[in-house]
Amino acid sequence: MTVRITRTTVTDARICDPRVDPAPDGWAEFAELTRPHAVWDPRLLRIEGWLARNPPLLVTVHDADGIVAALSALVCRPARLPRYAPRRTRRGPMWVEVSQPWLSGLPGIVRRPTVSGHRLRVAVRAAESTLARRLGPGLAGVFYRGVGPDLLPVLSGRGRVRRRTDSAAVLDNTFADTDEWLASLSKSRRANLRRQHRRTDADPSLRIRGGPGRADADPEAMADLLNEHRARFPAQTGDTRSPIAAPYLEAFVRRPDVHTLTYHDTDGRLLALNTLLDHRDVVVKQHWAALAPDDGGRQGLYFDAYMRAVRWCVAHRRPRISAGRGKLDVKTSLGFTPRDVYGVIAPRPVMGR
Amino acid sequence: MWNSLAYRLWRAAYLRAVSSAFATVPLYRETWALHGRTDPVLVPGKTGSNGGALPADEVRRRLVDTAPLAGGSTEPDPARGLAFLLTRATQRPSHRLVVVVDAEVTRPPTGLPRGSRGCVLHPDAAASAGDEPVLREIVDTLRRGERVLAVGEDKNLDALSSALPAELPPPDRVPHHRIDRLTGGPFGLLHDPLLGYLGVLRDCGRWHVDRRRVHVRETTGGLAFTVLERTSPRLVDVLVGGGVPGEVHACPQHASPVIQT
Repeated sequence: MTVRITRTTVTDARICDPRVDPAPDGWAEFAELTRPHAVWDPRLLRIEGWLARNPPLLVTVHDADGIVAALSALVCRPARLPRYAPRRTRRGPMWVEVSQPWLSGLPGIVRRPTVSGHRLRVAVRAAESTLARRLGPGLAGVFYRGVGPDLLPVLSGRGRVRRRTDSAAVLDNTFADTDEWLASLSKSRRANLRRQHRRTDADPSLRIRGGPGRADADPEAMADLLNEHRARFPAQTGDTRSPIAAPYLEAFVRRPDVHTLTYHDTDGRLLALNTLLDHRDVVVKQHWAALAPDDGGRQGLYFDAYMRAVRWCVAHRRPRISAGRGKLDVKTSLGFTPRDVYGVIAPRPVMGR
Repeated sequence: MWNSLAYRLWRAAYLRAVSSAFATVPLYRETWALHGRTDPVLVPGKTGSNGGALPADEVRRRLVDTAPLAGGSTEPDPARGLAFLLTRATQRPSHRLVVVVDAEVTRPPTGLPRGSRGCVLHPDAAASAGDEPVLREIVDTLRRGERVLAVGEDKNLDALSSALPAELPPPDRVPHHRIDRLTGGPFGLLHDPLLGYLGVLRDCGRWHVDRRRVHVRETTGGLAFTVLERTSPRLVDVLVGGGVPGEVHACPQHASPVIQT
């Protein structure tokens, strides 16, 4: 389905269902140009789409030079039925969430670096119109999650609702080495981090492995731990994410731009894991999961993982690290600063306008 | 294959099981969506391996993923389906006591006819001839002149017979067999420790599938069985016995599906 808007340049918005469609035309060039985080890989979106209740659609907006912007659009329904999404989109009440479900605090929009302002606004409106046509009259609107101040003017407008949500924690990497980062923290936090790190390093009953492209990782154990970890906390209102599936993690952790840190005990039991998405602008400290202490989990691994993540980013000169939303007080004590994040709702009548 | 209404209903029940498994059960969603399957094809262009059927060992290893998203049991019932096949297996309406002698079966069979009771006996207990309550019950039942039916592998049934007092009439016996060890009868049940009882050797000398509760189809990996009646754990297109090649026909005498390995 295509919508043509001729205000600036010819703009086509196309919808790709990653489950069954090949990657959009020009995706390789777009990905080379924008270097999106690993979760944007259409091959991963294909696996994620099949194993989710709310499968993502990949909406791409094109001009004569190729893809201008891409949106990850999750088709959500009010009834949370215990079944995966049907193969074909059904009619009925639904809304679209433009987000990357596993990138907390970041938007579900990637754009060519040169596209901003009015051009981006036109591109996003074209995507909205195409979504409205594709999904039919049951579509109630679009909800943009994780919108930063840079995108806010583009997505806002008449008839649209915007609200500030939980802030995201970001650490600007201005440090020459890890000691400089530690020196910027409070005395008690610094001592605590050093103590935890020393204790973890010296623990003979711990097997710590980390690095990119982890072919040795057990995706089933990782998926179990992540889902159990999520289940320990009360479900957030409006959380439309599905459980993480082992085949998704299997493809995910084998990528060279995904660093996985695992903690095992000497019996080979997975105690904790952390994934880090490498990126030239914003490294994302993504999944964290650990066994509860009552089930044999260890104390202090959470902070040890932060220590290792920051050490890696400092050593590799990455400009900033995003640790997502939640636990802001802890992250602030680790030197992260809160960044404003907004949610923007475009009700159906104003979609495309 | 044949084109009767019974076959179409059997096939429809199988298609419903496949559709439900694909929509709600993680193991099958992952396997079929990402690799494909045949007959029916769910994702065009993807045929998977063995037509989408999975070896029983893999299904057993991933039993936790055979429960639907809505929840349910992940514990297989190795005695499933026994009650419905006994009449055809023994050609008797009922027995006072049905004893399953098998190490894999830990729970008594359910759904037996009114007046029948089921129990399980570990083969070691049958061989030891000690003070085993189940053995005592078998002896008491036989002493009362009531019928006892023993189900299990031949060697286990022999052990049970030798453990009983010689003056008592022997219990009726129906051996059950794995699919890769089918015999010529005259009596027998087709059994798998994961899926339960799948079929019966009938008077025509052919191995009949329990078509109300079990579906079977031919795949490149062997005969793939589907349990139609249980939704959790959902067992669809399982290659029992490691995948035994075979054919599915219609019985010329009973017009119901039979397997030939």
